[in-house]
Amino acid sequence: MKKLFAVMLVLGLVILGTAAVSAETITVWGMGEEGKNLDEFAEKFEEQNPDIEVEVQAIPWANAHEKLVTAVAGGTVPDVAQMGTTWMAEFGGIGAFADLTGYLNDSNLEREQFFEGSFATNEINEKIYGLPWYVDVRAMYYRSDLLSEVGYDNPPENWEELKDASQKLSEKGEYGIDLPNEDEQILLPFIWQNGGEILNDQGEIIIDSPEAVEALEYYVSFFEEDIAQTEAQGSDTIQEFKTGNKPIFFSGPWMIDLIKDQAPEIDGKWSVAMMPEKESRTSFTGGSNLVIFEGSDKKDAAWKFVEFMSQQETQKEWYEATNALPANQDIWQSDYFADQPMLEVFGKQLEDAKAPISVPEWEQVATAIKRRMQQAIYGDSTPEESISNLEEDIKGIL
Amino acid sequence: MKKSIKIPALFLAPAMILMFIFLILPIFASLYISLTDFNIYSLMDWTQAEFVGLENYAKLFNDEVFWKSLKNTLYFAVVGVPLAIFFALSFAVMMNKKDVKGKEFFRAGFYLPSITNTVAVAVIWGFILNPNYGFLNWILSFFGFEPINWLGNTTWAMPSIILFVVWKGLGHNIILFLAGLQNIPAHLYEAARIDGASKWQMFKNITLPMLKPTTFFVTVMTVIGYLQLFAEPYMLTEGGPLDSTLSVVLYMYRNGFKHFELGYASAIGYILFILIFVVTLIQMKFRREQ
Repeated sequence: MKKLFAVMLVLGLVILGTAAVSAETITVWGMGEEGKNLDEFAEKFEEQNPDIEVEVQAIPWANAHEKLVTAVAGGTVPDVAQMGTTWMAEFGGIGAFADLTGYLNDSNLEREQFFEGSFATNEINEKIYGLPWYVDVRAMYYRSDLLSEVGYDNPPENWEELKDASQKLSEKGEYGIDLPNEDEQILLPFIWQNGGEILNDQGEIIIDSPEAVEALEYYVSFFEEDIAQTEAQGSDTIQEFKTGNKPIFFSGPWMIDLIKDQAPEIDGKWSVAMMPEKESRTSFTGGSNLVIFEGSDKKDAAWKFVEFMSQQETQKEWYEATNALPANQDIWQSDYFADQPMLEVFGKQLEDAKAPISVPEWEQVATAIKRRMQQAIYGDSTPEESISNLEEDIKGIL
Repeated sequence: MKKSIKIPALFLAPAMILMFIFLILPIFASLYISLTDFNIYSLMDWTQAEFVGLENYAKLFNDEVFWKSLKNTLYFAVVGVPLAIFFALSFAVMMNKKDVKGKEFFRAGFYLPSITNTVAVAVIWGFILNPNYGFLNWILSFFGFEPINWLGNTTWAMPSIILFVVWKGLGHNIILFLAGLQNIPAHLYEAARIDGASKWQMFKNITLPMLKPTTFFVTVMTVIGYLQLFAEPYMLTEGGPLDSTLSVVLYMYRNGFKHFELGYASAIGYILFILIFVVTLIQMKFRREQ
């Protein structure tokens, strides 16, 4: 009798267990700050979809690329993942993502709801491999109080003013500007602003142009004249911004909250402005899309999650949680951001922003740009040599 | 009585099988991959990789970044190995004296860095070496030195890495030298003392020769380890300002896992293998001739 009871108990537990597990579980990979906030939204989604469980894995950006490569190679991909726009071509180009065209057609979401530039990063070979999740664009952060002390009541509007203002600032303080010595995302806007580009419309490599050389010369001049710090490893951007040692820097909207948190002392003494103008005021736009992996066997459930995150309501709440700019244009066109002047700046900048070329070998191109720009900044080669070397590099890569 | 080999073979089988799958097979597989153009497109579809013979090796020959990484790695080994041996031996001799107080404390103190996870220690070293807030520059400022950007300066980045790696590996080598020292029969020293030999003479004529096997072992292992430098530059400098701390393995990693050029990276791996093999052969020949 005891034995029978024991067997029934175990059987009962097993059945109960399977019932609980019979809910579909989808794995979602989120990176950086986003990964940490996804849990909250996963719960909201689970409330609306009780038969789907969401397992969120937060992955630091530093390892994300390698983790994705290993997962794709090993077939251990998650169902949904956040995908930086610069990586779309890389992984999409090798067929890692599922084609969402069908899902999108049946959905209430429309392509036109998203910023064209962001949506374009999801289109590869005329198929749609993801949905824009959030966008970011780089703008100029500046210490308004320090700038007015050197005669600039308004932020510098063009290259000459930027040079002049930061020079005056560096004479007064330590440095005039925080420029990284190896970040292609900060150098590329200057090249674009001057009219240079890596590839032209026909896909030919045209980086070696007088415009690109001029842009690099301009960038390097800040280091040569000691307005920016050459050996800047280990320096904390926000700390330097707070103390005024580096009163200008370029970054994305996520810095707004970080500065408010880490440097409340300078509240009201800083703001954001658009990139300085040369031929244009083009900035770098990045952001993330949400993709579903081809190797996933729960694509339907995964799509529901992706759809959920792209709804206008969710996008608004996501912005409130993380300050990540929504990719869904409806929110921008509403009055939601009207009383937030800093966000308005980013919104305007989004209209003049480019993403770098969408090729699978982008990582290699980025490494080459980083290397050549460092060589020019450290004085190992002239800007002219650096750019022509860079063209050689890129020819070898593509 | 013929002993059956079946039982021992059975016991060895699990280890042999694992070794075969995870060690032997990949070694040959990567040799083959180094002869193909396996890259990102081949990740999803193996048939996309084409056999290209020695093309990767030819490309490597013309790759200035590869030569830089090789130079860096050799610079690191040529400076680091003697430093490691010198300090490990010195500390082992000092710790071997009978009347040393706190011997256990020193032993633990030296050995702890050896067994601590490199990644964790590297993060702390990153803070110590920070130019603005770091401990090292703070101490140096009392002596009147201007702050140096240890990891951001092309001259100082590699020495910083050498310092870090030598320091971290000391404990392991000290233990080995201590074992070697304790194996030297005490009567040799007694005889020398009776003959009136000085401490230095005893060291030169008894300790060093008797330590030859240990020294040889430590040197060979340290060289092999140092030629495979990876974790420290990866954590601290990612190859360093202007590739000044880019080691061969770090370059291989960058090509293989960042750029997906797995064929190219495999070729780098094999070049390194040949290098280490040759260096070790030379060392063994040198030893045999003694």
